[in-house]
Amino acid sequence: MSRATQTALVRDDRTTYEAAAGAAVGLSGVAFVVGLAALVGAVEIGDPVAGVELSVALGAVLLALGLAVVGFGVASRLGFVDAAPQPSAGVVAAVAFTAIWFAAGVTAAGAAGIGTVGRLGVGTVLGGGAFAVTALPREDVGSTVPAGAVAVLCGLALVTGVVGPGWERALAGYNATLFGDTVVPAVVLFASLATGWSAAKAYGGFGARGRNVGAYVLIYLVVGSILAVLVGLVAFVTAKGLPGLLNGVGVGGETLVRWPFLTNGAGLLADVAGVFPALVGTVWLVIGAVLFAVPTGVGAAVFLSEYAEQGRFTGAVEVATNGLWSTPSIVFGLFGAAFLIPRFGNQKSLIAGMLTLGFMLLPLVLITSREAILAVPDEYRDASAALGVSKWQTIRSVVLPAAIPGVTTGVILGVGRIAGETAPILLTMGGGVLPAKSAAPNVLSGFRLSASPPFVSNPALLEATSALPYQLYALITAGLSGNIRNPQEYAWGLALTLLLVVLAFYAVGIATRYYFRRKLHQ
Amino acid sequence: MSQTENADAEDATDATAVTANRTDGRRASTTAGETVEETRPEWTSYEASGETKVAVEDLDVHYGDDHALKGVSMDIPEESVTALIGPSGCGKSTYLRCLNRMNDRIRAASVDGTVELDGEDVYQDGVDLVELRKRVGMVFQSPNPFPKSIRENVSYGPRKHGDIETGLLARLTGRAEPEREARLVERSLERAALWEEVNDRLDDNALGLSGGQQQRLCIARCLAVDPEVILMDEPASALDPIATAKIEDLIEDLAQDYTVVVVTHSMQQAARVSDQTAVFLTGGELVEYDDTEKIFENPESQRVEDYVSGKFG
Ligand SMILES: Nc1ncnc2c1ncn2[C@@H]1O[C@H](COP(=O)(O)OP(=O)(O)OP(=O)(O)O)[C@@H](O)[C@H]1O
Ligand SMILES: [Mg+2]
Repeated sequence: MSRATQTALVRDDRTTYEAAAGAAVGLSGVAFVVGLAALVGAVEIGDPVAGVELSVALGAVLLALGLAVVGFGVASRLGFVDAAPQPSAGVVAAVAFTAIWFAAGVTAAGAAGIGTVGRLGVGTVLGGGAFAVTALPREDVGSTVPAGAVAVLCGLALVTGVVGPGWERALAGYNATLFGDTVVPAVVLFASLATGWSAAKAYGGFGARGRNVGAYVLIYLVVGSILAVLVGLVAFVTAKGLPGLLNGVGVGGETLVRWPFLTNGAGLLADVAGVFPALVGTVWLVIGAVLFAVPTGVGAAVFLSEYAEQGRFTGAVEVATNGLWSTPSIVFGLFGAAFLIPRFGNQKSLIAGMLTLGFMLLPLVLITSREAILAVPDEYRDASAALGVSKWQTIRSVVLPAAIPGVTTGVILGVGRIAGETAPILLTMGGGVLPAKSAAPNVLSGFRLSASPPFVSNPALLEATSALPYQLYALITAGLSGNIRNPQEYAWGLALTLLLVVLAFYAVGIATRYYFRRKLHQ
Repeated sequence: MSQTENADAEDATDATAVTANRTDGRRASTTAGETVEETRPEWTSYEASGETKVAVEDLDVHYGDDHALKGVSMDIPEESVTALIGPSGCGKSTYLRCLNRMNDRIRAASVDGTVELDGEDVYQDGVDLVELRKRVGMVFQSPNPFPKSIRENVSYGPRKHGDIETGLLARLTGRAEPEREARLVERSLERAALWEEVNDRLDDNALGLSGGQQQRLCIARCLAVDPEVILMDEPASALDPIATAKIEDLIEDLAQDYTVVVVTHSMQQAARVSDQTAVFLTGGELVEYDDTEKIFENPESQRVEDYVSGKFG
């Protein structure tokens, strides 16, 4: 067997071209990451790197990348490398480059002081040119030259210092100013995406394989940046909130662990002000809402998908539930204030908040449970029926267990939403800005039995109670002042606690789902 | 068989019958050089020796406009094996589903005619479907175990019927019968020739079994309910010769106490295990019903002879 036929399946010989293209992909990735870091302020574009400012260094990198990418395309076009390009880079790429070049043209013309009509003219000419250069020539030229040229242009602007650390421009007609330290990272991000994609295509030898590699690089970079933003957000809140949250934490003493921020109220006497009442309030709020919404929602879903005739009625219910789920939370809050509060002692109370949030959670639980129940294969129902098992028993022992993972997903999503809700609590539950420890609801030991209806009462449920998001809101509107030592630190600690509580509920939900999935599949 | 009349009738009523079967059938009948063959009532008026367990009279099934079974009448004798054979799509599964009213669960299906179980019409008003299906069990054409453990799959029916108490309440009150359940599971799996393979992993999920193992699990699950009539739709379609032989032994064994109706595509299997055989042909008609020996050695119908000798379908 000849070597040629072997390499068709196993490409083990890495050419210089591939190595260069791979290096360009890597360099683009680095530029992208640095751009992202500059955008969120982790590095400054004015910082010196190898004797020059970071923005100039990035410009040089973009310039080199742009030239390299154009070089890859030309080398392939001239037949120096073994590539399999298609006749055209395709309409999607052409439209994308048209948009990029149109924007570049308008911006450049604007910077040169040309009027509106002239700007649009320049943009149109450049955009049209980019379309032609992308769509008309063979793929290897069409997908490298426009991308490389973008990078060269951006690189030149940065290297020459046309746009740099001190740069700023007031936007005519808007009450806003662009600063160099956001524009430079944005330019770097865009240009490095373009060169990364282009170099990846060259690495794959264009054609189907090249497009595959190009798509991978694009997707990884974009997904990576989204994750980075998420992680950045959590890290930011954590960094700000940890000092407050950990204030006075210690081991030993009267209790095994001392964590005053979580176990104290915010009274004058407390040495460290804490969020205990609001924390307990939020936990009870979520538990109450889930206890109300899950049985009703799942029950309704069972009725709608197993018993009701599929038709106009179920269709109408579906539309109504979808509508309810998208109803703004303040409307639910108003409903609670106007309908529930008069029925529970005419004052803001924990139970009114629970029920209001329960009503908010209900549509999502209903929708997801219904989907999950409908997704249970009919074979299970047939098998059960053929064994002489009644419909209700079939639902209970086959259909619902198979639907639990889907139902849990719905509850997880819903809890994430309601745990952070402020508006409905504001209207139905109230609570103080800085509640003392004694204001914490004591639901468990609050139940009282009595000989006359309603036989069970629980004063804790009928009291105004604070919850974490509401307390944060109240604290901010009160101007971060009050009888606590360090309101800033306190507020951030509160925010972090809220984040952790929501994550904890997620963790419980995900563990539940994992448990039931395992039970179903192994 | 005619090229004209029969083929036209099929065209008119069974649009889905555009299969290789019919072209083969045509070729077979032309080579046989035959004239018109009409289905004669006496070919299906077989009187079995034993008591009649299930009596089917003038059964017609429509799926929407599709006439899937045409005027089928046949009596299934007690404690015997009845085989149903015929080409794909001729209505064997449809017929089986009429006997335990599983067709009720198919929206498009409408059933006319009578089906009597021990002389009682199962299609009359007020029939308790749960009770009927306890008495007439079914093994489906494609295996459909529950996403539960092997043990739970087998004991599912008896548990739900309250024959075995395993719930928390039963455990607390000391009425739980784990040994009885274990015995039932073992016996059912053993009869379905699956015990050897799974006895060390009864608590594993049944979906992790191979296709053939799932098929036998479904048989075991049906046996655990202890029905009077057992309907089996190709119970050995995914099994190797050894497991098939075991299932065939089981079927013969079951015929001591149960009434077994088995659909099969294997002529040898039908010939080996059954006492009487019903041949359905494309278009949903029952062409011939008689002693298995008679059907395989000396059938009345030319089409049946072609079919069982492999010239047709
Ligand atoms: N659920 C259904 N809805 C509509 N038509 C159906 C349905 N089930 C079966 N049919 C039709 O009824 C006819 C008989 O089908 P049936 O499943 O009884 O055939 P079969 O003899 O069991 O075939 P096979 O040997 O392939 O299992 C076919 O034409 C089929 O298309
Ligand atoms: Mg069938």
